[in-house]
Amino acid sequence: MKTLNAIVLAAFPALCSAAALPDLVAIKVGRAETVSHGVIEHAVILVEDGKIVTIGQDLPIERGIRVIDLESWIAMPGLVNPYSRIGLDSRAGDEFNPQISAFDDLYPTGEDYDKLLEYGVTTLGLYPAGRAVPGRAVVVRPGPDTAEAMLVARDAYLKVYFRSDSRSKKMVKDAFAKVDEYLEKEKKAKEKFDKEASGKKPEAKPEEKKPDEKAPAQDGEKKEEKKDDKAKKAYVPAEPDDKVKPFLDIVNGKLNALISIGQAADFLHLMDAIGERKLSFDLRIPMTREIDIYEVEKQIGERKCRIVMEPEITLTPGTMRMRNLAQEFSAAGSKIVFLPRGDTLTAHKTWLRNVGEVVAQGLPREIALRALTLEPAELMGVGARLGSLDKNKDANMVFLNGDPFEPGTKIMAVMLEGRIVFGEVAQ
Amino acid sequence: MSNFMLRKLLQIPASALALCSFTALLAPNANAAFLQEPAAAPKEGEKPAEEKKKEEKEEWFAVTNGDVFTGTGSLLRGMTVLAKNGVIVKIASEVDIPEGAKVLDAKGMRVYPGLVAVASSGLLGGSSAELEDTVDPFNSRMLLGLASGITSTGIGSVAAKLKRGEIKGVVLRDKFSTTLTYSTNNPSSKRNLVEKLDVTAKYLREFREYEAKKASNKDLKEPAKKGVDSALLAVLKGETMARFNADGREDLIAIARLAQKYGFRPVIDGCEEGWTVADELGRAGAFAVLTPRNRDDKSEALVRPGGSSIENAAILHAHGVQVAIIPATRGVDLGGIAGRDIIHLPIEAGFAVRGGLPQAAAIAAITIVPARILGVDHRVGTIEVGKDCDLLVMDGDLLHYQTFVQYAIVDGKQVYDKEAELWFAHIRPRTTASMAPETRVDAGEEVDPNAAPKVDAPKDGAKPEEAKPPEEKKPGGGETPPEKKPEEPPKETGGDEGSGGEVGG
Repeated sequence: MKTLNAIVLAAFPALCSAAALPDLVAIKVGRAETVSHGVIEHAVILVEDGKIVTIGQDLPIERGIRVIDLESWIAMPGLVNPYSRIGLDSRAGDEFNPQISAFDDLYPTGEDYDKLLEYGVTTLGLYPAGRAVPGRAVVVRPGPDTAEAMLVARDAYLKVYFRSDSRSKKMVKDAFAKVDEYLEKEKKAKEKFDKEASGKKPEAKPEEKKPDEKAPAQDGEKKEEKKDDKAKKAYVPAEPDDKVKPFLDIVNGKLNALISIGQAADFLHLMDAIGERKLSFDLRIPMTREIDIYEVEKQIGERKCRIVMEPEITLTPGTMRMRNLAQEFSAAGSKIVFLPRGDTLTAHKTWLRNVGEVVAQGLPREIALRALTLEPAELMGVGARLGSLDKNKDANMVFLNGDPFEPGTKIMAVMLEGRIVFGEVAQ
Repeated sequence: MSNFMLRKLLQIPASALALCSFTALLAPNANAAFLQEPAAAPKEGEKPAEEKKKEEKEEWFAVTNGDVFTGTGSLLRGMTVLAKNGVIVKIASEVDIPEGAKVLDAKGMRVYPGLVAVASSGLLGGSSAELEDTVDPFNSRMLLGLASGITSTGIGSVAAKLKRGEIKGVVLRDKFSTTLTYSTNNPSSKRNLVEKLDVTAKYLREFREYEAKKASNKDLKEPAKKGVDSALLAVLKGETMARFNADGREDLIAIARLAQKYGFRPVIDGCEEGWTVADELGRAGAFAVLTPRNRDDKSEALVRPGGSSIENAAILHAHGVQVAIIPATRGVDLGGIAGRDIIHLPIEAGFAVRGGLPQAAAIAAITIVPARILGVDHRVGTIEVGKDCDLLVMDGDLLHYQTFVQYAIVDGKQVYDKEAELWFAHIRPRTTASMAPETRVDAGEEVDPNAAPKVDAPKDGAKPEEAKPPEEKKPGGGETPPEKKPEEPPKETGGDEGSGGEVGG
């Protein structure tokens, strides 16, 4: 304990004079579900400036620091729904528009977002509507009044709608073919550039060695012409077309692709369209009653795709045999991201309970918790910033009066970046 | 001649039907003559160079100890069919099965070529126009198709395979046929077609002449292709099949004569009154796609014979028409009257046997003949070395209503196992089946009397009486011996179905 104390003091010298800082607060909870490193009983979470400063078991709290005592409650990271259109209109096209961002659609007023906070949702991924490639999703925090204030991060992922038909396959093939085209062109341009650049050094020599070499004579002349305008600059690649760039980013691993498929066959056709390319991507699979996606769960697991799915127990087609696909996928090597059962406020309200049903059917609890918080955050590329109760992460927390997956449990309070945005908390 | 009475007599209830008139198949001692040596098998000397590259990809599959009905007229008892990368490389009684090969023991079971449905809908999901991009290989209808023995089918004008869980190699052939209209009810279409055929035939003649002479005479010009219908050209060249829909006698005669005049072999869907003009159709080398259970009255205004006949298939076959059989409904129909949809393909063929079609021809009517119509007979339709390894392992005669597909194999991969799928697993489960196939004897079929007891005894721990059935076989009759009955009690599923192999009993 003493060492911990020392660490707290050493790491945050400001704590000594903490009394003066009104936004430094210590929250004591009965239990904290950190998601990233298990459960901490009797946890103390120190929050400052909307970030978690530290978290640990029974940490001693310096005198003067404001303490919120929630010993009877359980804290978990705020829920993250990475795939929603709540608060956006339902306009949807059917076009190839990877350059569009859902941020342009954002219309921040609306009570829906306040309701979401009430249901524990502190991070939302809003995706652009439409089939084909409607554009890139954006990460927002519900609550603020302006789009800019809501924005957490742009370019969460590129949404791709894929079904087993020639059009979808051609779309995917063409998109990556254009990336190849661009890369090929750039490669040649760079080679040319390098050649010209490296040509300068021997430039003095060829003149001396002219009798020995035949070809360099011509090269030498060219280089002489260009030597002035090309100084020792590094090669700058040309900016790709804005419809090509998102796919280039996917190939380079800078942007996630979330590909929506509807059945097992779609996955095979998607693989066929992607071909030999080594891409990592995640899959959005809507859980219909008799979905046959389990047929390819092994192949999906081998590719380490995240599965963005509803917490549903489905049936083996033609039977009443229940399947816990979340459990099956997770056993096959995929990571699970849970969505509410529908993109409605009601579904968000029953979200935790619905996941509880899947846990009751055998899905490991820690996978379910992760599927609501850290996994969707990582899907959207904000895993380093939120999604778990860790040092230096956003203080997004849900306080419950019991285990999150027990049927009777209620959300008592919600904290968004250090502020209590829902619930009565005695301070 | 009371054709009407005859038909009345034939329309007895389906429940009383004994579908199989078992014809004598080849004697076992003829087997040796049909052993086929692998044409494509790797030669010993060639190996080292290519072996290393290929070795990783080699996939072997063997169906062992089955009674192999090759579909070419032979029955090879206790044979092993060995396939490499989906192609049959050897059919023999003693085969060295390579290490790592998947082996399916078909002891006591029959091995047939996968069935070919000349037309179907829905078995592959997706749309025929872009099948390669839309096929759904996890479709439950595909599974039902495989459960009924169908491994290849025509969809629209595409010939495709039921490859479960795979989307590659599904399309066997594109545009295998061109549908033409040539009907007495539509004189202008008749005239149109003849005009087009004339132009096309003339062009083809000129083109061939040009081809023959161009080497010697370089001044010749290639004949103009103007006005030539490319689809008809393909028909006249024999590249695709010309397909007609016709049932009436006049239309059938007209099509037969048209085909003879222009020298192509027509495929006639329907062909209900074909039996009245079988000689004409035979001379024209026609293919007929029949549904033996379709019924149609003859027009009372006519004196000539007409209407449907249960003997249609038999009569057409006897006149040299290649008969393919297809049920009335092309899709899987889970409502209405059962037994008339695509998953009852062998049952439909059984009706043709009832009307006198030889058993072998009935099997050909759902295997090699439709494969020829689809233009894929070099790959499917029979069990031969060099052909695709599309096999059915069945617990009895293919055309018997009681027989189930136990395993279906497509391109050397097992894609269906009755016990593993929910549809029919509960009906006469394989492990407890009272119908040990060895003791089930088809009328007229020769059985090695020593073979049955050997297999039966260890398998079921059965009573000694069971060894007797072959001896008590009644010649010509459809019945199997009464000794089988003691076997029933242990089986409790479905009283009616449990009555074992009693045919017409």
